[in-house]
Amino acid sequence: MAADRQELAREARVVGLRDFSTPSLEAVERRRWQLWTVAFVVMVALAGGLVLMASSGARSVGLFKHLPVRVGLVFLTMGFALYVLEKEVHLRRLTRLLLDERVLTAALSNRLKELAALATVGKAVNSVLNLTQVLNIILSSALELLSADGGSIMLLEGPDELRAVCVRGHSHAEGARLKMGESIAGHVAQEREPLLISGPASRERFKNLVLQDAPVDSALSVPLINRGEVLGVLNVHATSDRQFTEYDLRALGLFAEHAAVSIANARLYETERAHVNELLELDRMKSEFVATVSHELRTPLTSILGCVQTMQRRELEPEINADFLETIDRQSHRLLRLIEEVLDVQRSATGPLLQSKTIDVAQAVAQVATTQASLGREVSVRVDGSLTIDGDPEALERVLINLVDNAFVHGQGPVAIEATADDDGRMVRLSVLDHGPGVPVSDVARVFERFSRGAKVTAPGMGLGLYLVKTLVERQGGHITVTQRPGGGAAFHVGLPASPVRPKPQQVHQ
Amino acid sequence: MKHTARVLIVDDEPDVLLLLRIELEAEGFETLLAADGETALRRIVEERPDVVLLDVMMPVVDGWGVLQRLADQGSTTKVIVLSAKASTSDIAHALELGAHEYVTKPFEPAALLVTVAHVLQSSPADLEAGRHRRLEQLTGAKTFS
Repeated sequence: MAADRQELAREARVVGLRDFSTPSLEAVERRRWQLWTVAFVVMVALAGGLVLMASSGARSVGLFKHLPVRVGLVFLTMGFALYVLEKEVHLRRLTRLLLDERVLTAALSNRLKELAALATVGKAVNSVLNLTQVLNIILSSALELLSADGGSIMLLEGPDELRAVCVRGHSHAEGARLKMGESIAGHVAQEREPLLISGPASRERFKNLVLQDAPVDSALSVPLINRGEVLGVLNVHATSDRQFTEYDLRALGLFAEHAAVSIANARLYETERAHVNELLELDRMKSEFVATVSHELRTPLTSILGCVQTMQRRELEPEINADFLETIDRQSHRLLRLIEEVLDVQRSATGPLLQSKTIDVAQAVAQVATTQASLGREVSVRVDGSLTIDGDPEALERVLINLVDNAFVHGQGPVAIEATADDDGRMVRLSVLDHGPGVPVSDVARVFERFSRGAKVTAPGMGLGLYLVKTLVERQGGHITVTQRPGGGAAFHVGLPASPVRPKPQQVHQ
Repeated sequence: MKHTARVLIVDDEPDVLLLLRIELEAEGFETLLAADGETALRRIVEERPDVVLLDVMMPVVDGWGVLQRLADQGSTTKVIVLSAKASTSDIAHALELGAHEYVTKPFEPAALLVTVAHVLQSSPADLEAGRHRRLEQLTGAKTFS
C-alpha cells in the first residue's frame, strides 16, 4: 500500500499536478485537458509556421531564409510532440493507479462494514446466553447484513433431522422439519458447503424440495459448523429484485462461523445450567433425606429406649413386661430393616450383577402373597395363563414386596397383584393395585427418584423404596410406570422381559 | 407425687401410646388416647384435657394442623409437642404455632414426666412468657407480640 502511494506521488509529480501528494482522478483529467490544449495550440502554431515557410520559398523573409532555423523548427516540433506523448503515458499510468486505489478503497469499506456487523453480532450474542435470544439476534443480523427479506435458522436434532427454530419473513414455518439431504437446507447440511441460488431452485438438484410461500429470486444457505460438527443451517432469501452475489455468500459464510460458535456456547451454557439445577435439586433432596432418615431412625428408637427405661424404673405387670419385650424386639427389627434399605439402595446401583433365570410368575407372585398374609395383609393374585420371565428371583421378590409394602403404607388394602402378557408377548406386565389416595399428577414424575417423597405424604418411609424398585426393574431390562386407577388408588405397572423358555413342569408345581 | 390431671396422648405409634399411658398412669394421671389429629381435636373439645402430648407426623391431620386449629379456636389447652423431628426450624415452627414445650424423640420417660408436671403447675402467663423466650432464642428475633 505504501509503495503504491509513493509511486502515485511520483507519477503525479512527473505529470506536474499541483497537489501531487493527494492526486485525484479529476485533477488528472484536468491536467490531461490542459496538456492537449497547449499541445494543440503549439502544434497549430508550428504547423502554420511550417506551411508559411514552404509556400513562401523565394519570397522568404527574415529568419525563415536560414536553413538552420528551418531544421531547428522541425526538431522543436518533434521534441514537443515527444514531450506531450511522454506526459500522456504518465497521465494514463496515473489514471490506472488511481482507479485501482478507488476500487481497493471501496472493497475495504465494504469489508469494514462487514466487520462492523460481525462485531455488533459478536457483542450482542455474547451479551445473552439464552439460546432463543441468540438465534433471534443471529437471524436479525444476517438479514440486516445482506438486506434480505426473510430467512430461517434450522438446527440439527437427533442424527439426521433439521428443525426450523427461528424464522423471519415468508419462509419455512417455525418448527418445520427436514431430513438430512432433503431440500436446500438438508443438502447444505449434508454437503457442508455454502450455497448460492439464483432464480427458482431446480427439483432435479434438490431431493424433496420444499418451496417457499412467495416466489424467491435469490437465496443463500450456509452450514453452521462448530469444531467440525454441523449444528444446523442458516438460510436467507430475497423475494424482491435483490440478487445475491458470491461476495454475499462469502460474507454470510464468515458470519455463520461466528454464529455457530455462539450457538454452541449458548447450548453448552443451557446444558450446564440444567446440570447445576439437577445437582441443586439432588442436594436439596439429600438434605431432606437426612432429615427424613433421622426421623425414621428416631421413631423405632423411641419405643426401644422408652420401653427399656420404663422397665428399669418400674415394677410392671408380667403381661406388660412381655408386651414391652415384644415391642423392643419388633422395633429393633424395624430399625435393622431401615438400615438395610439404605444399604440396598447403595448396592442396587453398584452391586453385583443380577442373575438371569427363568422365573415362573405365578409361583413368585403366590409366594409374596403368602408372606404378606402371614403379616395379616390381604393380597389377591391373578395371573393370566402360564407366564415366565427372565430375571433375578431375589430382585423380583424384592420389587413385589416393596410395591406391596408401599401400597399398604400409603394406600389401603386389599392389594391386588395382576400379571398379564403384553400384546406382542415380549414383555410380562405385573401390576400392583391399591385403594389408597393414588399418586398426585404433580408427584408422578419424581415418585421413583431417590430421596423423593410425595408432597402430602405423612406415612413413614425414607423415599427409597420406589427408587430401589425402579433400579432393580431396570437392571433386569424392564421398566416401571404408575397410573391412577379409575376408581381411586394407585396402579404400579412393572414390565419385565418374557422368557422364551417354558419352565419344566415340576418347577411350576414346586 | 401423685397427680389428678387429665393427659391426652396423641401418637400414631401404638407402642408409644402404650408406653406413655403406663408411665402417666403410674404417676396417677388420667389418660386419653388419640392416634390421629382429627380424633385429638375432637377429644380436646369434648373432654378438655389439662395437657396434650402431641406427635407431629400423623395421618389425616398432623401435629401442625392440630396446633393451627387450636390457635384458630383461641384454645388455652396446654400442649407439649413430642416429635422425632429434631431440627431447629421444626421446634421454632411448633412454638410459633402455640406449643408450650417441645420434647424430641427418643425421650427419657422420667424427664418427660418432669416436663409434664412443670407445664401443669405453671400459670398460662408463665407458659406464654417461656414460649416467647425460647422462640426468641431459636430465631433471634422479636417479631411476635
